[in-house]
Amino acid sequence: MDFDVISPKTREALLEAMDACQDKKYRFGAGYTDLINDLNANPQEDLTVINLAQLQDDVFSNITEDDSGLHIGALVTAAQVLENEYVQTHFPVLWEAANSVASMQIRQTATLAGNICQASPSGDMSCALVALNAVCDIINTRDEMRIEPLANFFRGVKKTSLAKYEILRSIFIPKNIQYNIKSGYVKIGTRVSMEIAILSVAYHLQVDEKNIIAAAGIAIGAVAPTIKYTQTACEFLIGRSLYEIKDVVLENFSSQVLNYATPISDVRASAWYRTTVLENVTKIIFD
Amino acid sequence: MNKNLKIIGKSTPKLDGKERVTGSAVYGHDIDLPNMLHGMILRTKYPCANIISIDTSAAKALEGVACVITAADVDVNMIGYKRDHPILKSNTVNCNRDEIAAVAATSKEIARKALSLIKVEYEVKQGVYDPFEALLEASPTLNERGKGLEQFGNKNMAESFHYEHGDLEAQKARSKVIVTKRYETSRVTHCCLGTSNITASYSKLDGSLTLWASTQVPFLYQRDIAHALKMDASKIRVLQPIIGGGFGSKLDMHPFEPICALLSIQTGKPVQILYDREEEFLASPTRQPMVIDLTTGADAEGRFTFREVKIVLDNGAYTSWGATTPFVMMQTYSSLYQVPACWFQADAVYTNNPFAGSFRGYGNPQATFSIETNIDLMAKELGIGKDEIRLINANYKGEITGQGLHFKTCGAQPALEKVIAESAYKEKINRGDTGRYRRGIGLASMLHVGGGAKIYRSDGCGTRLKLDHYGYLTIITGSNEIGQGSETILAMIAVEELGIPMDKIKVINTDTDVKPWDVGVHASRTSFVAGNSMLGAVKLIKEKLSKEAMKLLSIDAADFDYKDGSMFSSEKEIKIDKVVREMHFGSNELCQVEYFYEPPSSFQDKRFMGDVSGNYAFASQAIEVEVDTVTGNVKVMDVWVSQDVGRVLNPVGLQGQMEGGIATGIGFALTEEMIYAEGKLINPSFHGYKLLTSMDMPTVHFFPIETYDEAGPYGSKGAGEAPLIPTAAAIANAVADAIGVEFFSLPISAEKVLKALATVKENQLV
Repeated sequence: MDFDVISPKTREALLEAMDACQDKKYRFGAGYTDLINDLNANPQEDLTVINLAQLQDDVFSNITEDDSGLHIGALVTAAQVLENEYVQTHFPVLWEAANSVASMQIRQTATLAGNICQASPSGDMSCALVALNAVCDIINTRDEMRIEPLANFFRGVKKTSLAKYEILRSIFIPKNIQYNIKSGYVKIGTRVSMEIAILSVAYHLQVDEKNIIAAAGIAIGAVAPTIKYTQTACEFLIGRSLYEIKDVVLENFSSQVLNYATPISDVRASAWYRTTVLENVTKIIFD
Repeated sequence: MNKNLKIIGKSTPKLDGKERVTGSAVYGHDIDLPNMLHGMILRTKYPCANIISIDTSAAKALEGVACVITAADVDVNMIGYKRDHPILKSNTVNCNRDEIAAVAATSKEIARKALSLIKVEYEVKQGVYDPFEALLEASPTLNERGKGLEQFGNKNMAESFHYEHGDLEAQKARSKVIVTKRYETSRVTHCCLGTSNITASYSKLDGSLTLWASTQVPFLYQRDIAHALKMDASKIRVLQPIIGGGFGSKLDMHPFEPICALLSIQTGKPVQILYDREEEFLASPTRQPMVIDLTTGADAEGRFTFREVKIVLDNGAYTSWGATTPFVMMQTYSSLYQVPACWFQADAVYTNNPFAGSFRGYGNPQATFSIETNIDLMAKELGIGKDEIRLINANYKGEITGQGLHFKTCGAQPALEKVIAESAYKEKINRGDTGRYRRGIGLASMLHVGGGAKIYRSDGCGTRLKLDHYGYLTIITGSNEIGQGSETILAMIAVEELGIPMDKIKVINTDTDVKPWDVGVHASRTSFVAGNSMLGAVKLIKEKLSKEAMKLLSIDAADFDYKDGSMFSSEKEIKIDKVVREMHFGSNELCQVEYFYEPPSSFQDKRFMGDVSGNYAFASQAIEVEVDTVTGNVKVMDVWVSQDVGRVLNPVGLQGQMEGGIATGIGFALTEEMIYAEGKLINPSFHGYKLLTSMDMPTVHFFPIETYDEAGPYGSKGAGEAPLIPTAAAIANAVADAIGVEFFSLPISAEKVLKALATVKENQLV
C-alpha cells in the first residue's frame, strides 16, 4: 500500500488540498477503520489521501446544540457520540446505533462521516440518522454550502450525492417536538460485538401527553441498496395512539415497512430470513 | 496421593504470560533475518481443472524477484498421510487451495506483483463436491495417487475404518426403542490469531536447513520435511517461535512449508512466507465435514443395547491426518456409556473440496453430537428422564469396554451428577416457555483419551535436567508449548519436587537439535506424558544430589526434603547450589540426568481392540440457552461443566482450557461455517465467518472431578480437548428443549431456527 498524504490543518488548507486533487484520484481519511481495509483489498496506484485527522475546525470536530437542534461534526467519533448527554437524552436511537458499531476500540476512532460516506446499506449510525430526519451540511472547494436530507444523500451501495469537489462537514438533527419519545435501534446479527447488521431497524417516535404519535421516523438498513426511510409507514402512525398499534393496525404498519424492503440473499443471510425478521421486528417495536 | 503439595493444585501464571501480554513475545511473524526474501504462493483460480501451461517468464524478469518455482523446477516427494499430495501441482488442480507456483522477492509488494505476472492456462473441469457423488461409479478418479480401488473397493475412497463388538442382531431384538437419524456437521476452521508462517534458511556451505516453524509435532515434521525434500532429517533443524494458536491445525505439514524451504534452497537466502487472514481461511486446515447415519437402541429400562453407525467424511482432494479421525470416533461410539454391541464404519472420500486436517477433539465433537442427540430422542420415546437415562448407562470404574478400553478410574457418573445438580437441570427441563425468549437446557457427556494415544511407534517423551552451580534448573523437554500451558506444569513439578523457586527454572523446548524425542502436541497428552517424563528425571537427579549431599554432610542414609533451594535431612541442611558446586568442582561430575518415559498404553490390534491410552478423561456439560423467536438467535446463557481431570495441576490454566474449548464448541454449534460455492470458499474473512468474541461468552461454571489416576503425574489426566467435545451436543439438546424442535445439522444458525419455528407454526395452524 503506497499513497501520498496531505494533512490540512485548517478549513482553507483542506479546500485548497481538495482543489489541488481535482485531477487526481483521492480519498479522505479520518478514522481509517474502513479505508485501510479497502485499500488492502483494492490496491490503487497514484492515490492521494487527504488526511482529516489533524484538521482543526470547530464545525468539523464538535457537537453543538442550538434552538433548532443538534449539529454533529463530520469528524466526531462514535465514542464521542456515545458520551454526549443531549444524544443520550433526546436521541436514544442514535446512541444505541453508535453503541453497536464494531467494537469499543474501533468506536474510539471511527467517525460519524466515515460511517455515512461509506454509504453502506448496513451503516448503523447512518440508519439512526435517517430515522431522525438528519440533514447533511456539505461544502465545496469554493466554500459554498449546500444542505441535503440524509435519506437523499445515499444513492446506492457505496454511492452518495457528493461530488468530487465536495465534502460532508456536519450533520444536523432537528430538535424533538415532543418531550415523550419511544426511540431505539434494533440490529440483527450473529455476534454481540464486531458485527455488521444483517438487517437493522431504527425508530424514533414522539408522542404527546395523550400518547398520540406526533412525529415518527422509521428507517431500515441492509434490506435494500440504500438505507430506507419508510415514509408511508411513518405517515401511517401519525395521529394514532401508541396503544392502538396492535392486531390489524400493527399488521398494516408492518406491511407498510416491508414495502420498502427489497432484500437479497448473501453469505450472511437469505432474503427470506431478512424479510421474516424485519416483519418480526416491526411487531416488537410497540411491545 | 494425599500428600501435602506445595504448588501443584495452586493457580500459577503461565511462564510465557508476561511476554504474551506485553507484546514482547517473538512470533514467527516477528522474525527478520539478514538478506531475507519474502515468499508468496500462486494458488489455482479454479478448484478443478487441467493445467495447460504455466508461463513464469514475466515474473522472473521483474526486478527484485530472486526466484520463481513450479513443479517442473523441483525434485520432491509427495506429502500427506497417504503420500497423495504433490507440493506444487503440475498437470491438474483439485481444490481451491492448490499451489501452482511460488516466488521469492526482496519485498512482499514485489512478490505480490510477480504472482500477478504468472500466466496459467487452464482447462476448467466440472468438480465433484459431494462425497456421495464421488462414491458413484460414474464419478471421475479424483486423486490419481489414491489406492481406494485396491484397498477399499472404490476408487475415490481415501481411507476406511471398520470396527465392531458384541452381537448386534441380538441386541436389536431386545431393544424396546430404536432411533435412526442422519447427522451432518459443517466445515469449520481453527482461526488461530497467529496466521500460518514459516521462515526457512538453507546453507549452501553444509547443506543444512533451519526452519522457524509453528508445528505442533517438531520431530514428525522434521521427518516429513526430509521426506518431501529428499534430505537427511538430521540436516534439518526445527526451531519453534512462540505459536499464535495450534488447536490441531499444525499437526500436518502443509505444502507452504516445503515450498518455503525450496525457495531458500534455490536462492541460498532466508525466505519467509506469512499468510494474511484471507489466505489463512483459504489454505489452512479445517475440521472434517461428516454425514453420520446413526441407529441406537435401548431396552425397556433405558439400558443401551447397541450402536450402529455409518459415517462418510469429506476427505477433500488430498489426505491429511484428518482422515484418521475415525480412530478416535470409534472409541466414542464403542465406549461412551456402556454399549453391549457396536458396528462402526467410516469412509473418507475424495472430493474437490479442500482437504481437512486435525482439529481439537479429532472427530469426537462430531461423534458426540450424534450420540448425545440420539440419547435424548430415545429417552423421550421411553418416557425416561434425559438425565436418568445417562446415569443408568454411565461408564464406571473398573469397566473394560467392548473395545478393550480399561477405565481404571472413572469420573463419568460424578461429573453427570455434578452438572445435573449445579444447573438445577431437573427444575429447568421441559419448562415450555411460550414468549419471545424461550429458555432450554441440554445435557451431554464425553469420553476422550487422557493419557496419550498409542498411534505412533513411540508415544513417549524425553527429559533432560541440568542443575547449575548457582542452583538454577534447566528443563530440556522433548514436548513443546503451543499455548496449552504444559511448560508451566513442568516448572511447577520442579518447584514441587526439588524446592527450586519458580524464578530459577528455565524450560528449553524449541529446538530439535537440542531437545530429546517426543511425538508432539496432540491427543491431550503433553502434561501427562511430559509430566511423567519429568517426574522420572526428577527421581534420577534427586538420587545424584542425595549421594553427594550425604557425602558432604557425612551421613550414611537420608531421605531429603527439598525446600527453598535447600535439602533437609533431620537437623541438617545444605543448599542445592553448594551440592552442585561440590559435584562439579570436587567430584568432577555434572549434575545432569536424562529420562525417557513411554506410557503403559498398548497398540490396538487389527480389529482396533486394545487399551490405547494411559488413562481416560470423562466430562459432562449442562448448557442453558435462550432462543429469541423474533430473530432465531440462540444465546448461550450458562455452561456447567464437570470433568474428570484426575487431579487439578494448575487451576487457572485448567479454567483457561475450559473456557477456550467451550468457546470453540459454541462456535461449532451455532455460528461457524465455511461456505463453499462449487468448491470456492465464499466467506474467507471474520466478516463472513462468524467466530464468536469474548462478548458472546456465557459464564462457565467449572467443577473438576479428581479421581487420582495412578498413571498420571500426581494422578492427573489429559484435559485439553475435552471441554469442546460435548458442547455442541448439549447446545443442540438445549435448543430442542427450548422450542420443541430437534436439530440434526450444525451449525444451528438463526436462519435454521427461524425456519423450524415457522414450520411448527404452520403445522399448528393446519
